[in-house]
Amino acid sequence: MSWAIEVQNLNVWYGDKHIIKNVSFRVPKNVIFAIMGPSGCGKSTLLRAMNRLLDLNPHARVEGQVKINGINVYGDNVDVTWVRRQFGMVFQIPNPFPHLSIYENVALGPKLNGLVKDKSQLDELVKQALQKAYLWDEVKNDLRKPASMLSGGQQQRLCIARALALKPRIILMDEPTANLDPVASSKIEELLLELKEDYTIIIVTHNPQQAARVSDYVAFLYMGELIEIGETSTVFTRPSNILTEKYVLGRMG
Amino acid sequence: MRLNKRKIIDRLMLGIISALAIASAIPIFAIAVNVYSEGARYISLNFLIDLPPPPVGGGGGGIGPALVGTLVLVALALAIGGSIGFFTGLYLSEFSHTRLAQYTQMFLQVMVEFPTIIVGLFAYMILVAPLKRFNALAGAIALSIVIIPYIALNVREAYKSIPYTLKEAAFSLGVSAPIAYLRILLSAARRGVLTALLIGLAKAAGETAPLLLTILGTTFTYFGGLDQPINAIPLLIYNFALSPYEKWHQVAWGAAAVLLTIILVIFIVSRLIIKEVKV
Amino acid sequence: MNSEKIFPIFLIVFASISLLIVTSIVISLIINSYPIFLRDGFSFIFKSVWNPVKEDYGILPALLGTLISSAIAISIAMPLAISLAIFSAEIAPTSIRGFINSVSDLMASLPSVIYGLWGLYVLAPILNQYIMTPLHQYLGFIPLFSTKPIPTNLFTAGVLLAIMITPFSSSIIREAYNAIPHHLKEAAYSLGMTRWEVIRTLLGYIKSAILAGAFLALGRAMGETVAVAMVVGNTFTLPRSLFDMGYTISSLIANQFPNAEAYSYMMPALYSGALVLFTIGLIINLAGLYWIRRVVTRG
Repeated sequence: MSWAIEVQNLNVWYGDKHIIKNVSFRVPKNVIFAIMGPSGCGKSTLLRAMNRLLDLNPHARVEGQVKINGINVYGDNVDVTWVRRQFGMVFQIPNPFPHLSIYENVALGPKLNGLVKDKSQLDELVKQALQKAYLWDEVKNDLRKPASMLSGGQQQRLCIARALALKPRIILMDEPTANLDPVASSKIEELLLELKEDYTIIIVTHNPQQAARVSDYVAFLYMGELIEIGETSTVFTRPSNILTEKYVLGRMG
Repeated sequence: MRLNKRKIIDRLMLGIISALAIASAIPIFAIAVNVYSEGARYISLNFLIDLPPPPVGGGGGGIGPALVGTLVLVALALAIGGSIGFFTGLYLSEFSHTRLAQYTQMFLQVMVEFPTIIVGLFAYMILVAPLKRFNALAGAIALSIVIIPYIALNVREAYKSIPYTLKEAAFSLGVSAPIAYLRILLSAARRGVLTALLIGLAKAAGETAPLLLTILGTTFTYFGGLDQPINAIPLLIYNFALSPYEKWHQVAWGAAAVLLTIILVIFIVSRLIIKEVKV
Repeated sequence: MNSEKIFPIFLIVFASISLLIVTSIVISLIINSYPIFLRDGFSFIFKSVWNPVKEDYGILPALLGTLISSAIAISIAMPLAISLAIFSAEIAPTSIRGFINSVSDLMASLPSVIYGLWGLYVLAPILNQYIMTPLHQYLGFIPLFSTKPIPTNLFTAGVLLAIMITPFSSSIIREAYNAIPHHLKEAAYSLGMTRWEVIRTLLGYIKSAILAGAFLALGRAMGETVAVAMVVGNTFTLPRSLFDMGYTISSLIANQFPNAEAYSYMMPALYSGALVLFTIGLIINLAGLYWIRRVVTRG
């Protein structure tokens, strides 16, 4: 079986604080893989360790391996920009580039990375990405308008389109619905279920019910340690660790 | 204290404060009025192009060489000081945790308050003395040094105010650091950066002290080369105003009117840019 | 991949250039003034003589001139700056506050040569006619006013400097005042204080900002060259009253520099004047920055 991503003995420190403690797991292809846990347990850090966005933090130190197709992203000769292009990332607070239009937000990644040859190819790419993100019909007449004009839910779908435009293998999502209203949230959850046919999705959530709703596999992270991991149905009905059970039943922070 | 007495003191103090405040704002209006009423009458196309008049007798004359000089010096200063200032500011913002950044920022904050005559002395030592004559390059370098701290500290602010999540979004697209900082994030910070450059422009156009010891202020050649003396509008105003010739005083007022207009335009443009951000 | 490694190095080069420039300037001041320190020790700071032929130099009058003109400037500027800040932040109708602040900022960015020109031909005669001459006539027995005034003197320089540094000082105080937490203002009013009493209390709260504004403005006044050189009289005498013509260190450098190449020790003398000026200015500006830190960390 080939894995989308393999994490092996991953350790992360912020200065002296040991944030991620010897975490190892494997994510199959074309699934939705949820990482859940109470606030501050290191979920966001874990995500950023995968696409090496953690490199931006001068106080962070990483040990261990993260492998895509057998290649360790922290290897010596690996180009970090190549690593980041393998992933698409969606953040907790929708963050489209406010000074760019809707079209430009989606087009920026492919343009700068030289993925297309001419304008018509770019137009087609932008349209496909926006369609996949279920945003095309709402914005197709307003592509030149600034991204800041969209509602929160629309902005988040725009960010998803921006991530999809790079044709990544894996989509990383850091609590994508945490700042959206319930209607917008459920639209995004529906979208995820469609997207997993073409992509592998790793979603961090602080809401166990969301994990139960959308994911195929789930990992429970507590204080930087991987407590339990398995198929969602199993983990939620017959958790093998008392901490997992507490969290799932809502009896934990 | 009885309430009436307190009320009287209240009225009195508010009145005094208001009066002092208005008094402190009067000079700018007085200056603008005086400069334009004394100087605007001399401004014409000829005034902007011609050589200066002889001290006594003779025709109108103008500030041509000084205007050309200012354009040359300002362009050079912005090119040199602007680029050093910009990249220094970018470094200060994105690598603020390093020792180099901390020391550099401290030193730059001190340098903002340097008496600019000292910068002139330095430029004299490194560029005028070795060449054994006053030259335009020395003036341009002196001006560059003066504007570097302003540009660096303002560019730093501009980049620092970009939300961290935007930085993450830019890098998550898998572009290289130069492209992330100079194409994506520069666009996000462009108003602050533009303001920084406009401040540098205004300073370079208006500063006199760095030029006193470096460019000589020759009045009769338009541009002889970077290794030759040159004039500039502020220096012309200084020299002519202090001269004993009435004719040259008039030219000084006219040049002051030109300079004031340039500064006003730059000021208004930078206000308009900032206003866009607030809206 | 190379650009990832090269880019930070590229930036480091530029930052280092900036750092290098500042250090070089300081070192050059020290090196170039060394000859006169070697020959005369520190005594030349306290001598009053400027005799190029005998190569005898002492910058005391210029030092005093700098101190006197700056003292005049700061004593006039501080009440004005505080008033302007309060007026803008508290008293003026909100609709014109933006306008007032813009005017103040414009004043702060005006080239000093324009201040100098205006000071020389407009301010100086006015000061002479309406303030200096009457003061000398009626209060001339006081040593401060004992010299018969000529329009271009230390007093005019001080007043012009005050006009120049007020906007800058004012903006620091104004920002600190605007940043005072609203609940503190409300608490003061709820105690039944009059407006002036509230203002006075809040001014005490932002003491650090006022001190910062004062020190930084003082630093500017001391370093100002061109405007001062145009109105201070440029005469090498020990000042005995406010109305004496005089020199400041920076205007001395500006004025004597053309002569300096012809003599062996004049250049070092001027450089050492610059070093003295730089040192005083550095101390004052560091004090100002210290108070700014206090403002920031307090809030």
